[in-house]
Amino acid sequence: MNIVGISACTVGIAHTYIAQEKIEAAAKKAGDNVKIETQGTIGIENALTDEDIAQADIVILAVDVKISGEERFAGKKVIKVSTQTAIKSPNKLIEKLHELGRQ
Amino acid sequence: MNIKEIWKAANPKGHLLTAISFLIPIVCGAGFIIAIGMALGGTAQNALVPGNFDLWQALATMGGKALGLLPVVIACGISGSIAGKPGIAPGFVVGLAANSISAGFIGGMIGGYLSGYIALAIIKNVKVPSWARGLMPTLIVPFFASISSGLIMIYIIGTPIGIFTDGLTSFLRSMSTSSNLIVGAIIGALCIVDFGGPINKTCFAFVLTLQAQGVNEPITALQLVNTATPIGFGFAYFVGKLLRKNIYNDKEVETLKSAVPMGIVNIVEGSIPIVMNDIIRGIAAAAIGGAAGGAVTMVYGADATVPFGGVLMLPTMSHPMAGIMALLVNIFVTGVVYAVIKKNVSCEVIEDDEEEEDINLDDIKIN
Repeated sequence: MNIVGISACTVGIAHTYIAQEKIEAAAKKAGDNVKIETQGTIGIENALTDEDIAQADIVILAVDVKISGEERFAGKKVIKVSTQTAIKSPNKLIEKLHELGRQ
Repeated sequence: MNIKEIWKAANPKGHLLTAISFLIPIVCGAGFIIAIGMALGGTAQNALVPGNFDLWQALATMGGKALGLLPVVIACGISGSIAGKPGIAPGFVVGLAANSISAGFIGGMIGGYLSGYIALAIIKNVKVPSWARGLMPTLIVPFFASISSGLIMIYIIGTPIGIFTDGLTSFLRSMSTSSNLIVGAIIGALCIVDFGGPINKTCFAFVLTLQAQGVNEPITALQLVNTATPIGFGFAYFVGKLLRKNIYNDKEVETLKSAVPMGIVNIVEGSIPIVMNDIIRGIAAAAIGGAAGGAVTMVYGADATVPFGGVLMLPTMSHPMAGIMALLVNIFVTGVVYAVIKKNVSCEVIEDDEEEEDINLDDIKIN
């Protein structure tokens, strides 16, 4: 599956990047293509391109705060969780994405 | 929709956290500036008259002015999070209204929700003919949302909020030593259980409110715990060696080399990767140490007049020794507890798959 997403936490210096790492590691383990954009205090990094989004089967947002550019995912299946959920249970989250992606 | 669903859709906590994410860099930047200014003898001035101030006064004033506008920042942030860009202008106006009527930080928060939801309601419900479309963003939303939320703040809710915060302040000022101890322990433990996560930030918003009212100890307790915890984890390394235990792997030791200096300047988040590797023990050690440090701060009255800065907060206290003691107690307790309860590990980095918690379906929102 092609997974794209965004992570963003309140302070934007730690949880944002841990969530990104956890999701990417879990998705790769499950054999998915994955790219997670981070919206930390420093700004947007690892930005998703239009092509990334067009090819994505599902969008995962691990966010605690308002993010920018959510409208880019119009028409896609978008799953929103807190960064905590992504950090605590990344593998189960990916499992869930697979389940929802098939529906 | 029942109340729970409405509450979830309105997402008040998410808006507050978004606002706090805008607030933190201002608190950090201005906090360092005022801490340096005051540590070197400056005091915040009402106005800077050319020729009548030195650099330290300039720094203290600059930082003080910025921190004085935090109610406006929080109002803008909340309002903007609710209504998007059109929410920012009314949030700014209502935040300044809250400041003027002495409703402070709580006033700014409530005002932000008010102006945000009013702006959103106008955008959603007011339909204008196409010739007047240009009037929506230039006149209708900013003017009506600002004037209505501003007037509500000034004539209806501002004064009761001011009375409430004053009451809270005098209650906290009159507390006995034993209740100080309990409050200090609670703040210390609460602010560290999630290492800079949402609980910490909610706690932060609360104690920042108190500082705006002139009660400095609670925020000092919180920030000293944030400062001491990463240093405590560093200290645990040496305590572990003393106990002939190896408690960190090589990667964690590398993490500590940046986490400890970050801790000294008040940034707790550097220690998160360490805690993530052993959540239960890490949080236990941090919370016990935080409770001890927080209690010392409150009982001995460490009262930094700045809301941020780590060790730079010490010179702004009326009894810097109390702050130093709180830090040392916190570092010592966290370090010893972690070193004792942590299991022996090898230096090599092992990637293991621990049992993950099941995902609660309530935590997932699907569109």
